[in-house]
Amino acid sequence: MMNEEKYIRSRMGTRNPFQVPDDYFDRLTDSVMSQIPEESKPSRTVRIRPWLYAAACLLVAVLTATVYFFAPETTGQSVVASTAVSASDTYVDEAADYVMADNNDIYACLASDL
Amino acid sequence: MTDDKLLIEQLSNPKLQRKAFETVVRQYSEQLYWQIRRFVLTHDDANDVLQNTFVKAWQGISSFHGDSKLLTWLSRIAINESLDFLRRQKNLSVASIDDEEGGVANMLMADNYFDGDETEAQLQEAIARLPEVQRTVFLLRYYDDMKYSDISKMLGTSEGALKASYHIAVKKISEFFKSLD
Repeated sequence: MMNEEKYIRSRMGTRNPFQVPDDYFDRLTDSVMSQIPEESKPSRTVRIRPWLYAAACLLVAVLTATVYFFAPETTGQSVVASTAVSASDTYVDEAADYVMADNNDIYACLASDL
Repeated sequence: MTDDKLLIEQLSNPKLQRKAFETVVRQYSEQLYWQIRRFVLTHDDANDVLQNTFVKAWQGISSFHGDSKLLTWLSRIAINESLDFLRRQKNLSVASIDDEEGGVANMLMADNYFDGDETEAQLQEAIARLPEVQRTVFLLRYYDDMKYSDISKMLGTSEGALKASYHIAVKKISEFFKSLD
């Protein structure tokens, strides 16, 4: 035991200085039980969580299976090409919006370059 | 006294659950009351926190599978409820009674349900000034003589950290008294 602990124990002791009203402990069990709901239902979040986890797992499984079984086979090269095309289309659309040109203006511009 | 194994078995049976829980309350409420009272200090607050402790225990009964002793599980809930209560109390009052010089000791000396002398009231004041972990480990070691291994299971803190916290708590309390001399 540390010297400080001995000092505290010798000076203050470990007596319980608190008191309770008369018969408090005799009435305590009934008083506590009157506050207890009839059934011990787990909280709403506890009941919902397993369903959420199950639904999330099912969704991931369905999406994975869909992609695996139904997605068209693509080579690495075509993926790159389609990305390039879509990127190019996006760029043209943005440029057209920026200069406020419609399709006719673009065709006219391309024809004049020929 | 009904043993833990039988009580845990009955608690998992919906037909016997409520009756078994009543036995748990009868068996452990006094011990839990004193643990809580040392944290919150007044009888009315200890009574409120004890009621909340048993309501929480009842709501969480399905999550208790007997991995620890019933008392350890209940004590963990009781201590968490006590600390939550003290945090809420601290947030409610801008100038907490703990911060005033002699606030806790004066309050206790005026309390009809405090039977101690001035030195014992000052000890409660010194304990109330400790941070949460030091206060918890000090109360459980000093008054309940609880083993570090049991406190460790209850609080989920390593024994080494608890020993260090107890050591610091004892040092702070003895310095508090030496400063009063």
